[in-house]
Amino acid sequence: MGLIGPNGAGKTTVFNLVTGFVRPSSGEVRLAGESIAGKKPHAIARKGVARTFQIVKPFARLSVKENVTLAAFLRHRSRPEAEDAAGALLERLGLGGRGEKLAMELNLMDQKRLEMARALATGPRVLLLDEPMGGLNPSEVGAASELVEAIRRGGVTVVLVEHVMKAIMRISDRVLVMHHGERIAEGAPADVVKDPAVVEAYFGHGAA
Amino acid sequence: MKGRGALAAGGVALLAAAGLPLVVHNSFVLHLCILVFLWATLGEAWNVLGGFAGQVSFGHAALFGLGAYATAILYLRAEVAPWWGIPLGGLAAAAVSVPTGLVAFRLRGPYFSLATLAVAELMKLVALNWEWATNGPTGFLITSLPPLHLLGLPMDWEAKAPFYLAALAMMGLAMGTVAALSSSRLGAYLVAIRENEDAAEAVGIDTVRAKVVTLALSGFLTGIAGGFYVLYFRYIDPDAVLNLGISMEMVFIAVVGGLGTVLGPLVGALCLTFAGETVRERFGAGHLIFYGLFMMLVIRFLPEGIWGRASKLIDRLSPKEARPGAPRG
Repeated sequence: MGLIGPNGAGKTTVFNLVTGFVRPSSGEVRLAGESIAGKKPHAIARKGVARTFQIVKPFARLSVKENVTLAAFLRHRSRPEAEDAAGALLERLGLGGRGEKLAMELNLMDQKRLEMARALATGPRVLLLDEPMGGLNPSEVGAASELVEAIRRGGVTVVLVEHVMKAIMRISDRVLVMHHGERIAEGAPADVVKDPAVVEAYFGHGAA
Repeated sequence: MKGRGALAAGGVALLAAAGLPLVVHNSFVLHLCILVFLWATLGEAWNVLGGFAGQVSFGHAALFGLGAYATAILYLRAEVAPWWGIPLGGLAAAAVSVPTGLVAFRLRGPYFSLATLAVAELMKLVALNWEWATNGPTGFLITSLPPLHLLGLPMDWEAKAPFYLAALAMMGLAMGTVAALSSSRLGAYLVAIRENEDAAEAVGIDTVRAKVVTLALSGFLTGIAGGFYVLYFRYIDPDAVLNLGISMEMVFIAVVGGLGTVLGPLVGALCLTFAGETVRERFGAGHLIFYGLFMMLVIRFLPEGIWGRASKLIDRLSPKEARPGAPRG
């Protein structure tokens, strides 16, 4: 699912609410019918909800492999097993040859791949990607889109916050549009982009 | 040098150090060594929380003083010998650190540091005012220690050797604990927390629990050092064991030596103890200026600490063994 909206619409706040970084003052957050509202982020991660951050948050002075191994500990008791799982994920996400580099030495695209790998290492059912294409050039956006599609094919439900409409249209089955903290439209991508409320939210009154 | 090689080398070094009193009989030299071991223990204790987990505490004097007072009170009021009182003092410090951590770790960064400072000041006020428990500003004086025989030999409490060996064992325990932590899953979690706490939570690490367990470990080591202080110096009052200077000294030793390393606090304790004593001898009361200058120079030009820089050079010169970014020796 794609989650879009103008800046300040509340998209990242939704992610923070779902993943426990912000406690809801009202309303519900449910995962497969179970309420997870108010739980701590680590507990929600253990239930199978993983995320990336709008501004990447690598463990900067650790190696790429150690970044992912730490996350793999959630599902693997022993270090050798966790390291094997981390190695496989790094290969899958195109970071196979960079395992020994420090995370802070990677370029932005690779740091975003690393963050996805780290999130996937927790074995999630749902993966929340917060602007994974922010700051990337067009060819990198294409590569990132393919990566996200590959993750979906792996059986993980993906919720994608993005401003790159091309990627949203390509990847999403459904799109939800937010504005000023509220849902203003939801449906198939092709229908949502023609919705007058969506056009007005992005381009202002009278543009629809 | 990593793993078993480092462990074996450490064991050999400790055994060698244990033999020093057999060849060195100068009381002042042994006294300096005892101070180094005591401060190295305190530096290691602080390093567990500050170096590995990145949680800067300015209040470890509270745990030091708690261990000291627990040991003194158990001995003077309940006739519990200090060698039992010291570990009990450590446990008392660990026990107090748990609820403190559960509250303080809700805060991050400088707010956490200030909270620890407040706890230490609170502890000092308690010690000054709860005279029924702590003797208030008068403190406790231990005039004699109970007899103790080890391997059939009586301990001569007027000599330095028994305290030297006790301090060495305490430091060995502290360093061994830090070495074990650095290669454990908890140690890896602490490094993740230090690097980015939000990301650590996002990958399923219970950061508060990890920090509280670490604080308890740090508290235990700090508390036993406090207990040793009572055993060795035989006098404590709130000013002696609960002052901010002790907390700051622990920070300096870990920072100057090398945060997040096993040997760093020992190197820091060696440098600061000998630097402090040297300038005190030459400049009397003005020694604090040179002490402060030394620390500023190290922090400015060797931000990773003396051992931190040295171990990087050693790593560069020797074949690559361990993964980058893992806690160093």
